[in-house]
Amino acid sequence: MRFQYVLSEITTGLRRNLTMTIALVIVVAISIAMLGAGLLIRSQAETTKGYWYDRIEISVFMCNEYSTGAGCADGAVTDAQRDTIRQTLESHPEVDEVFYENQEQAFERFSEQFDDSDIGGIITPDQLPESFRVALQDPEQYDGVVSAVSGLPGVQEVTDQRQLLEPLFRTLDGFQLVAFAITIIQIVAAVLLIGNTIRLAAFNRRRETGIMRLVGASNFYIQLPFILEAAIAGLLGSVLGIIALFVGVELIVGRFIAPNLQFTSWVDSADVWAATPWLLVAGVLFSMLASFVTLRRYLRV
Amino acid sequence: MILFDNVSKLYPTQNQAALESLTLEIEKGEFVFLVGPSGSGKSTFLRLTLREDKPTAGRIRVAGKDLHRLSNWKVPHLRRRIGTVFQDFRLLPNKTVFENIAFALQVIGKPRRQINRDVPAVLELVGLDGKEDRLPDQLSGGEQQRVAVARAFVNRPLILLADEPTGNLDPATSVGIMKLLDRINRTGTTVVMATHDQSIVDQMRKRVIELEHGKLVRDQSRGVYGYTR
Repeated sequence: MRFQYVLSEITTGLRRNLTMTIALVIVVAISIAMLGAGLLIRSQAETTKGYWYDRIEISVFMCNEYSTGAGCADGAVTDAQRDTIRQTLESHPEVDEVFYENQEQAFERFSEQFDDSDIGGIITPDQLPESFRVALQDPEQYDGVVSAVSGLPGVQEVTDQRQLLEPLFRTLDGFQLVAFAITIIQIVAAVLLIGNTIRLAAFNRRRETGIMRLVGASNFYIQLPFILEAAIAGLLGSVLGIIALFVGVELIVGRFIAPNLQFTSWVDSADVWAATPWLLVAGVLFSMLASFVTLRRYLRV
Repeated sequence: MILFDNVSKLYPTQNQAALESLTLEIEKGEFVFLVGPSGSGKSTFLRLTLREDKPTAGRIRVAGKDLHRLSNWKVPHLRRRIGTVFQDFRLLPNKTVFENIAFALQVIGKPRRQINRDVPAVLELVGLDGKEDRLPDQLSGGEQQRVAVARAFVNRPLILLADEPTGNLDPATSVGIMKLLDRINRTGTTVVMATHDQSIVDQMRKRVIELEHGKLVRDQSRGVYGYTR
């Protein structure tokens, strides 16, 4: 009896407020899609950082015979100097691995990169610097390594790729922040709209709820249909929002961004699947909470 | 059954107190008329009894419960022991007579078996057997008020509060409702009825409590309306 009653109350309630219910579902859907997009941007930023961090290395370029600069006063790097540099790097606690690249290897890489252009024909191996490529244990900690080898004789230049990528990371952080802010605003709007819809529903049914109060129905029993109504609208909205997210990721990232911009790995539907349970819970919970708070104000004992 | 001890009620927006130091006791099984002009505090008395409002000062006991100490979540249990009838019936227009009465039992979680047993019994008591499938707008005013009384009484409350139950009815129909309330009173239910209906009060010869400007001005057993406009 109870169950049947609650169920019929919910369906009549949702039907009577059809336009408001639709508005509610749409707003929840948009909010959840935004929230999901925020989460995806976040995980995209993480993926991108991880992708690049794995590849970040410090390059220690050594002098060749054409080099100028303080460390290269003696001409090309000598074997002794090279060994000192290698030992300094290998004994440094932050260093994970050290690879040596001689002039021939540098030339091969260079030729590969500039295969199509004319530069490849002009450059000869002896014009390129030999170098150590240093992988770090923690990509954030590059300062120590850089300063340890910078001043050594035979070192022409130390470059740190992280410095080059810093603007990218800052942009990603900015994206994350903007997405987060928009999500918060959306959620506030959604909560207010849910509150208003439920208030309207409560107003429409004030006759019933008035009688219920009078004959001694418990608050829980009076509020339950409204809260479940909000929960159902929240669930519907969340599902729609998640579908929109799948479609968006597939169309925008899968078909457009990922094939064209291959400098990092991109989010895909697996990431949406991972976010789905959280988004569902968030949608339903926020809706129920908003209606509960509203009812406490407008459906007093 | 109902005890008001030095109760005052001030509404924030009004200068004058709705009730002022009201002290009175209504025993179990009594039939009491509450009379007085509009704004004399009758409705406030009923609202306080139902714990729809809390008094500004003083103590109220209803059905053995100290309302001051009654926590919010126990209020519904208090109201299950009080039936209430209004001038405007307050029936649900889209539910049949049976459903309107059953609604009162459903929402306090009574099982279907009990509803199917109690609703026909109370319909017979109020003289509406055979009309359980009618909608409220297919009934006369008197019949609608009988449905409202049936709904108030179906849970066998200790107290029945009636706020001008005959206010919308013609005199002949009113007499029918009064007979019904009297019958309910004879089952041991305490009945408190706020009214402006002079002839009814004079005919019934029950206890009369008269309020004016929130104060008790008369408490008379077997009284008359005694108030001329």
